[in-house]
Amino acid sequence: MNTLFLYFQREWKLMFRNTGTLILPLIFFLIIALLFPFSLPAEVSLLQRIGGGVIWVSAVLATMLSLESMFQADYQDGTLEQMVIHHRELSLAMMGKVLAHWTATGLLLTLFSPLLCMTFNIPSDQIWVLFFGLLLGTPTLTLIGAIGAALTVTLRRGGVLIAIIILPLYIPILIFGAGMLSQHAQGLEIVSQIYTLGAMLVLALTLAPFAIAGALKTTIN
Amino acid sequence: MNPFSIIWKFLDRTYHRLASPREFYTIAQYATPIFGFLSLILIISGAYLGLFEAPADYQQGDSFRIIYVHVPAAWLSLFVYMVMATASAIGLIWRMKMAFVVAICSAPLGAVFTALALITGSIWGKPIWGTWWTWDARLTSELILLFIYFGVMATYYAFEERKTAEKAMAMLSIVGVVIVPIIHYSVEWWTSLHQGQTIFAEGGPRMPADMLTPLILMIFGFMFFYGYALFLAAQNKVLTQERKARWVRELIQKTGNQR
Amino acid sequence: MMLNPSDSSSCNSDVHRLEVSDLECVRGDITLYRGLSFSTSGNRCLHIVGPNGCGKTSLLRQVCGLMQYDQGQIKWNKEFTPSHTEYKQSLAYVGHKDGLKNELTAFENLQFYQRLNSGNDEEEIDNCLARLQILKCADLAAQSLSFGQRRRLAFARLLIADKPLWVLDEPFTGIDVDGRTLIETLCIEHLQNNGLILMTHHQSLANSPLSQWRDELNLEEIGKNQ
Repeated sequence: MNTLFLYFQREWKLMFRNTGTLILPLIFFLIIALLFPFSLPAEVSLLQRIGGGVIWVSAVLATMLSLESMFQADYQDGTLEQMVIHHRELSLAMMGKVLAHWTATGLLLTLFSPLLCMTFNIPSDQIWVLFFGLLLGTPTLTLIGAIGAALTVTLRRGGVLIAIIILPLYIPILIFGAGMLSQHAQGLEIVSQIYTLGAMLVLALTLAPFAIAGALKTTIN
Repeated sequence: MNPFSIIWKFLDRTYHRLASPREFYTIAQYATPIFGFLSLILIISGAYLGLFEAPADYQQGDSFRIIYVHVPAAWLSLFVYMVMATASAIGLIWRMKMAFVVAICSAPLGAVFTALALITGSIWGKPIWGTWWTWDARLTSELILLFIYFGVMATYYAFEERKTAEKAMAMLSIVGVVIVPIIHYSVEWWTSLHQGQTIFAEGGPRMPADMLTPLILMIFGFMFFYGYALFLAAQNKVLTQERKARWVRELIQKTGNQR
Repeated sequence: MMLNPSDSSSCNSDVHRLEVSDLECVRGDITLYRGLSFSTSGNRCLHIVGPNGCGKTSLLRQVCGLMQYDQGQIKWNKEFTPSHTEYKQSLAYVGHKDGLKNELTAFENLQFYQRLNSGNDEEEIDNCLARLQILKCADLAAQSLSFGQRRRLAFARLLIADKPLWVLDEPFTGIDVDGRTLIETLCIEHLQNNGLILMTHHQSLANSPLSQWRDELNLEEIGKNQ
């Protein structure tokens, strides 16, 4: 646990020394979501209906964009090597790092999503559904994405490859996250979706750290 | 000696033979024609029975006959993925070189089967459902499977160092094994228009025998074809990878003299 | 080929010992070395020599467990391989990359490594910085340090951790004469405490103060013998 905390703390310190890059995913998220109204017919009801899905897609894209930098800096300055050879458990260390990364991307996006909902005229009870959906879904996105980031860390142009690897794997989260909204809009129960998102999060929390550590040990070669 | 230890010894020996590139190449040389021949016979007989002998469907007429390509291709798309992932796991756990070769040679084959299943499915869908494409569960998860195949191949070719590439690819295909069922069920939950299972339905196959026999022949034919193509591709890969080894050079000289 | 430098120097049984046997390194299609065996033990410095591209860095990375190997064995104290925790606990590595975070100050960089090794003593960090004569840069961000200062900071990491096996890849690159003498002194102290050093350096160490502790392993000759 100590390992996890140490790396979490370190990552936070690093992020706040770099506030410029810290808010980039958030700005990207807002811009992507706000592009949609321009490309669609100007109907309030249409935006209201698709708004939740749009926000989910934007969150997925913003998360994915932030992945490339997750291990890149550490790889380039050699700190990643030091982490790999250190006797502390690499998977725990990486979990701390990934969770810290999530607070700066997924969590931040989630916190700002109600703002976007308002621009889409989404009713307030729906805003809560979206908020909790994102809160449960984005950590899974980051954890799965980190596997892709770890696999491509040594490649010079890994960004596109991450997208190809990771986006298909994001589909279940998208389905349940966005599906939750449409279910709720029809007045149906959304408990099953919440459970499923939660189950996927637990699965990702248990398995992804090992995959990340394994991928890093392999690619850093 | 008890029978288990005999079986174990046999497995152990086969494993060690398969693990060496040279032995693998030799085994593949014998296996390739056998697999090719079997697949040819099975596919020809299956196609004949399916296209000429089997009765037309009372609802779908003759257009149902595309099933003899569509279903085997769809089966193989998953089967090949399982082979690829299993080979990847064997390669990662027991550091078996040839397992990676099998895995990476399977990826494009699997992608082709997946694409074939998608294309034939859409051709079938046009007269039956009245549309080329629908966001149906099986179609969608098959499409995602195709993208995963692409991702696996892209990962392999992105690395210069072969060993790293092999391991990265193997890890990705194993991650895929965890996620593919989740994708499948999530998409199924999402929406479904596709017809249900016909072969392994409860209470036996919901299909008359003269329709089913050619289908099963075709499935096995496709499987042997996959084995044939896999052995060919793997032989090619082994020769490229081991081009510096003495036995490959000797082989090249021998075949060169024959011409 | 077998190199056994420790025979004469010590027969102490609780001295640390690193044994490499039958090691192979293949990069792409090229076999850098095959059947490489050597062993070294406490208070010796193994200097790996050979021209560029003969696999010096690869060998160090294999010893560190950064690069995987298909053939051969690396054993620490006869039982631990690079994936064992006990091995990792004994190992410190300074490679081409400094392993420093630009955003953190020199002090914070060391502090992180100290905490990773379960230490928490700010005075010790200051002492380490002082030993390497970079105490005045303690509160400067690592990105504003000069190349030589960064290298020194990377070496300060060795002092903070107290590990018996030092693996140093070209330790004297980009460092001035003073710095070199300093690092040599640190190495000698480490050796006197029964530490092991594995290093690559393109020049001969014959005239260096390290020479009396040094054994040479010529990777090129090993390649030729095959």
